[in-house]
Amino acid sequence: MEYDTLVIGSGISGMESAIKLGDMGYRVLLVEKEASIGGKMILLSKVFPTLDCASCISTPKMAAAIHHPNVTALTYAEVEKIRKLDGRFQVEVVKHPRFVDEAACTGCQQCETACTVSVPDQFNSDLVARHAAYIPFPQAVPKKAVLERAGTSPCTETCPAGVKAHGYVSLARSGEYEKAFQLVLQSTPLVGTLGRACFAPCESECSRGSLEGPVSIRRIKRYIADDHYDAHRRLQALPEITHTERVAIVGSGPAGLTAAWQLARKGYPVTIFEAEDQAGGALWTIPAYRLPSAVIGQDLDNLRQIGVSIRTNTPVHRIEDLFDQGFSAIVLAVGTTSPVQLLVAGAHASHVDNALHFLKAVKTGVGTRLEGMTVAVVGGGNVAIDSARSALRLGARVVRLISLESREAMPAFSWEVEEAEQEGVFVLNGWGVESIGESELHLMGCDATLDREGRFDPQYDRTRVQSVPADRVIVAAGMRPATEAWQSTLTLAGGGRIAVESESQATSWPGVFAAGDAVSGPTSIAEAAGAGKKAAEAVEAWLSASAFSPGPMRLPRVSQEEVLARQSQYALRPPRGGNKALVLHPHDFTEVEPALTESEVRDNSGRCLDCGVCSECQECVAACPADAIHLDAREERFETTVDSVIIATGFKLFAADRKPLYGFGRFKNVITGMQMDRLLAPTRPYHTVLRPGDGKVPESIAYIMCTGSRDQTVGNPLCSKICCMYSNKQNQLIMGALPLADVTVYDIDMRTTGKGYEEFYVQTRAMGTTFIKGRIAEIVEKDNGNLVVRYEDIDHGGQILEQEHDLVVLAVGVQPNHDVERFFEPGVLEFDDYAYVNEADEILSPGQTNVPGVYVAGTAAGAKDIPESILHAGSAVAQASAYIEGRRLPV
Amino acid sequence: MSQRRIGVYVCHCGGNISDYVDVEQVAREIGAEEDVVVAKTAMFTCSDATQSEMEDDIRQFKLDGLVVASCSPKLHTLTFRAVAERAGLNPYQYTQVNVREQCSWAHTDDREGATAKAERLVQAGVARTRLTEPLVPLKVETVPRTLIIGGGITGLRAAIGLADIGIEVVLVEKEREVGGWVDRLATMHSSRQRPQELIAGLREAIHHRPGITVFTEAQVIAKGGTFGNYEVTIAVRRNEDHPISIHVGSIIVATGFDVYQPELGEYGYGIEGVLTLPEFQEVLRESEGSLKYHGRPVETIAYVYCVGSRESEDQGDAHTYCSRYCCTATVHTALEVFKHNPKMRQYHLYRDMRTYGEYELLYSESRKKGSRYLKFAPENPPSIQKAGEPKGEHLTVTVHDQLTSNQELTISADLVVLVTGMIPRENVDLVHTLKLPVGKGGFYNEIHPKLRPVETVVDGVMLAGTCQNPKTAAESVAAGLAAATQSASILKKGQVQLDPQVAVIDEARCNQCGECLSACPYEAIASRPLTDDDKGPRRYVINAATCKGCGGCVPVCPVEAIGVKGYTPDEIRAMIDGLLREVVAPV
Repeated sequence: MEYDTLVIGSGISGMESAIKLGDMGYRVLLVEKEASIGGKMILLSKVFPTLDCASCISTPKMAAAIHHPNVTALTYAEVEKIRKLDGRFQVEVVKHPRFVDEAACTGCQQCETACTVSVPDQFNSDLVARHAAYIPFPQAVPKKAVLERAGTSPCTETCPAGVKAHGYVSLARSGEYEKAFQLVLQSTPLVGTLGRACFAPCESECSRGSLEGPVSIRRIKRYIADDHYDAHRRLQALPEITHTERVAIVGSGPAGLTAAWQLARKGYPVTIFEAEDQAGGALWTIPAYRLPSAVIGQDLDNLRQIGVSIRTNTPVHRIEDLFDQGFSAIVLAVGTTSPVQLLVAGAHASHVDNALHFLKAVKTGVGTRLEGMTVAVVGGGNVAIDSARSALRLGARVVRLISLESREAMPAFSWEVEEAEQEGVFVLNGWGVESIGESELHLMGCDATLDREGRFDPQYDRTRVQSVPADRVIVAAGMRPATEAWQSTLTLAGGGRIAVESESQATSWPGVFAAGDAVSGPTSIAEAAGAGKKAAEAVEAWLSASAFSPGPMRLPRVSQEEVLARQSQYALRPPRGGNKALVLHPHDFTEVEPALTESEVRDNSGRCLDCGVCSECQECVAACPADAIHLDAREERFETTVDSVIIATGFKLFAADRKPLYGFGRFKNVITGMQMDRLLAPTRPYHTVLRPGDGKVPESIAYIMCTGSRDQTVGNPLCSKICCMYSNKQNQLIMGALPLADVTVYDIDMRTTGKGYEEFYVQTRAMGTTFIKGRIAEIVEKDNGNLVVRYEDIDHGGQILEQEHDLVVLAVGVQPNHDVERFFEPGVLEFDDYAYVNEADEILSPGQTNVPGVYVAGTAAGAKDIPESILHAGSAVAQASAYIEGRRLPV
Repeated sequence: MSQRRIGVYVCHCGGNISDYVDVEQVAREIGAEEDVVVAKTAMFTCSDATQSEMEDDIRQFKLDGLVVASCSPKLHTLTFRAVAERAGLNPYQYTQVNVREQCSWAHTDDREGATAKAERLVQAGVARTRLTEPLVPLKVETVPRTLIIGGGITGLRAAIGLADIGIEVVLVEKEREVGGWVDRLATMHSSRQRPQELIAGLREAIHHRPGITVFTEAQVIAKGGTFGNYEVTIAVRRNEDHPISIHVGSIIVATGFDVYQPELGEYGYGIEGVLTLPEFQEVLRESEGSLKYHGRPVETIAYVYCVGSRESEDQGDAHTYCSRYCCTATVHTALEVFKHNPKMRQYHLYRDMRTYGEYELLYSESRKKGSRYLKFAPENPPSIQKAGEPKGEHLTVTVHDQLTSNQELTISADLVVLVTGMIPRENVDLVHTLKLPVGKGGFYNEIHPKLRPVETVVDGVMLAGTCQNPKTAAESVAAGLAAATQSASILKKGQVQLDPQVAVIDEARCNQCGECLSACPYEAIASRPLTDDDKGPRRYVINAATCKGCGGCVPVCPVEAIGVKGYTPDEIRAMIDGLLREVVAPV
């Protein structure tokens, strides 16, 4: 599509420009950054001096702009670059994704109701909240929803299992525990397991972590799982088997179970082959004090409900047997079941056990008691810690943990080590095993465990030796996959790991895929589950003979700085609940971590900062009757060429907290003029005028004029032109809304110069507003939220006086909108000393910039009221069309 | 009566209506009315979403009549006619019912009463809609030429703007030369060029544009024809017996302002050395080097602001408005004076310093350069006296300065400059010829300062510059170019549509009494002899293109032979019946 003119910004000046150009027959591209056209005017209560309702004046212009046959209006879009090109302009536009199909959306607002995220409503000047899925305001044009997504939340982005952590936290916050459970199920069936035994990288990345501590994301998931399982709920809406290709999964650890789950959800018949007598794989090596056996059973039951067949005691020795049985694809997820043996004397003695065997025996109840024994656990990883703490619970008198690594270099999580010590485990760092005796362990010093390239290569110091007593020795020196049987048919990597193509998880054997620790070596439940999910996607692609593409790409992670910068104020909310009760020498395998109560879950989820804004909880997707929500939408860019450009990017309001003297942001009952306009608007947030601090109806309202204007201390010596009149307007409206309220205006000069403005001011005085000449020296907040204003009363001899008010309105002024600065290469478009677009010849060519063909309309060139902006737009249009005509004349 | 299919929409207007009128009840009641097929409420009927919903309803329910009960027809009649048109319904089968200005806002203390009144108003609207017939606007080919009246900076720049878009211009200036007030100024802020250079540049630009014809010492003496094709008559002084007749598509009035002339004795006006701001500008313009007045060096100047502006309403023909430009002009003039004499003592006696926007910088600069500002209260204005001997001819200014504890200060000044504002220019003939709407202060009125800021109630007649209200030169030029844009947006379409809601005469009923002829303010009714005999029976016809549909002729007709389309006697009677009828509760 070709356009004659680009109009940037759809406030009153932009709309006026577009409509008039369109009326003259020019084709206009109107680009608006927000999700609706209309700019600031549509948000106002009434407009001076006629006191017309702002909506009534704006809506016809909005409708005219959007319906104009010559105007194409793009909302939620921005101009990225403008380049001059032979007297024309090449324009690059980016259309931000609304994540809502505009054609399908009916504006019914059901997504808004369903959305679980609340953020300050910028269209109500942050006085109230709106949802992340929202329609900007009731008169929005187009009246289409938009999902605000700043990026992927760090918790969600970091989760190896692909769980939408922010989503379930957000659902939990809304009390939607079952929906939260279902959301986790989209990634993995191991909801209960991950709720307890995950190492929770989400919490390490939580933005709240840099404040009072992270949201207890994992324990919220545990609550969600318990809530579901304790109520004995069955899964709803089970998938039907829609495919004939059967898939075999070898191994039933987290990777295998998740792969099976994902494929079954897609309608594939899935069979799991498990060599052991119960499914769960490595989950059975996690001690019950961290992960009760019953929870594993509950998670496994999800797979049974969905129709996955699990064959236990069925080792797979030959892969081709599975193909022979009619399976079309195979996922190998056999984990790391072979313990690494110590190559020292005595390693095979009968009192020496490997940790995997030990932990599994303990968990399945076939382990022996260690009453009164002295136990040595060899190893510095989490498995060693699990073994040591289990040994204590089995009655061992003394448990020593022998770690090659220094304390800092131990692979185990530091909190795990600390907890083990709190329970009575002695940790010996920097020791290797020289030999194992019948009742003692001979140790030698170890100075380093890695060589310069970071490879495992322990450096022993045989001059430093000691012996420690040990009736039982448990070796946790590492694990590797048991893949020897397949080495002739599959390409293997080092340590018996199965070699795969990294993106698609495909092995060297077509149709055979591998996932989890068997590929990567020992990792975590979450990482294994993530690998299983990825393998399932690869299998699906292979079976449907389509190219493998990893699932919809996530939005880039939102930066923590951005999230924290967004929070203008936060209440201090430290994490609550769920502290572990650790005892010395525990005697049983009761869970050490208590469950969060529901109130603690609400409290914790309420602490979420909604980093990505949208939590991806999917509630809107479910609620939308038009299937209009597409979370995988992405921005679109296009280029076009125009003859002329009109910049109508408007202004920004002065950020009142830049004037700390007045206490905006600190004192709850100090608001801005725009906030008062919202309080007075027909679409007002509270349906009446009340002060935000405590909802009291104000009785004495103060206006402080020239906030951020005529003020060198904030770098703005200019007068903002509009504040005197908008304050007068609000004064009159307040007297209508609150007839008993007193209004006092503290001003320097009352500047009411437009048509009918002086008369309006006289009327405001006559209606009872008190005008006091005098600047404010100080505002003090009282305990009851009232504000004491200290001022110089110039009219009455210049005394310093104090006056108490219960609401203070700051008449904030106009500031330049810096967005315009990036449209052109630096130096092309000129700005004045105060960063407004410069008008080359202010008197004879209002609206003409220094670039021929580029015009500025309205407040982008400096403060203006609405009638002035409209006339200024008319001026820009006259010159833009003259430029277009001039170019078209035959030379 | 044939069965009609009418849709009714009742607006909450946010809460403007629904806070005081039970709009749901109104919709419910009217929904039970005969012929009403749809009756709904909406938060904002004018919002795009509701407009779309109406369009869908019109198509789905095959509506042949539309009623929106919302605000004043002045605001949204065109909005909803456009809705009807987009959905394929004749726009003249739409009726706007005003339940805001005429109901909710007027009865904020009586919800029940307001609701009952709203119901009856809507009933009346439905009753009228029932009788509506499709009307087709008259189309007039437009003349791609604009008449600009006034050759000041506004008119000159607008002429160039229009010519550059491809619209011919005829510019009529009363004086011998174009240039207006700006040509007489000594200096202007916001411009590096001297005012005379600016005007010379504009003259030059006009000279190079063949599409612009300028008549000086000329006046518009008559206007005929219709919107889009007016026939104007211009009398040129050199050739008064042969007025020129020209067809134009539109007219821009840029007749400017006059300056306030103080009465003798007002702030000492009449005493030697007491000047108005324009008079002082002349002195400044003529001065080379140090400033002298009547040969005497000037060392102290006192400026008295708001002379003839911001007057109290109690005075008879008071200028209650603020003249907007004068604060900045004076502050700027004082800066120019410093160029003549950096040591000049300058005292500014003001009420509120209104150097709005970026002009605040001039105010700051003038303070830095040494201008002193004293603030007086309007009820305690400064007084100016001629100082007695031995002070020679100096003037004494006495003022109570609020900035220094309201002390009485006395200033000895060589000159006192009365900062006089703009006043509307008397132009009785033009007002009459063009039927210009004159506002309370004497300036011309636009239709709406935001919706249609350059248009007047007379179609195709636009306003620009200071004839509307006081403005700076830059603001006047912007307004002139905005008027050029509005003019071009009408003329570039090639045709205009005239409102078909015009009077028609039922010739069968007409008794040829001729009463209507004198009732028509637009000379839209003509009488023609029915036969060759000029004195024989006559027939009366209405020129649909000139008729404004004002209805003035309707009540004077003794035999009810005239009606206005869209507001026929039957429709009006039906509306009255609708208003009077008790509301029937829905079953």
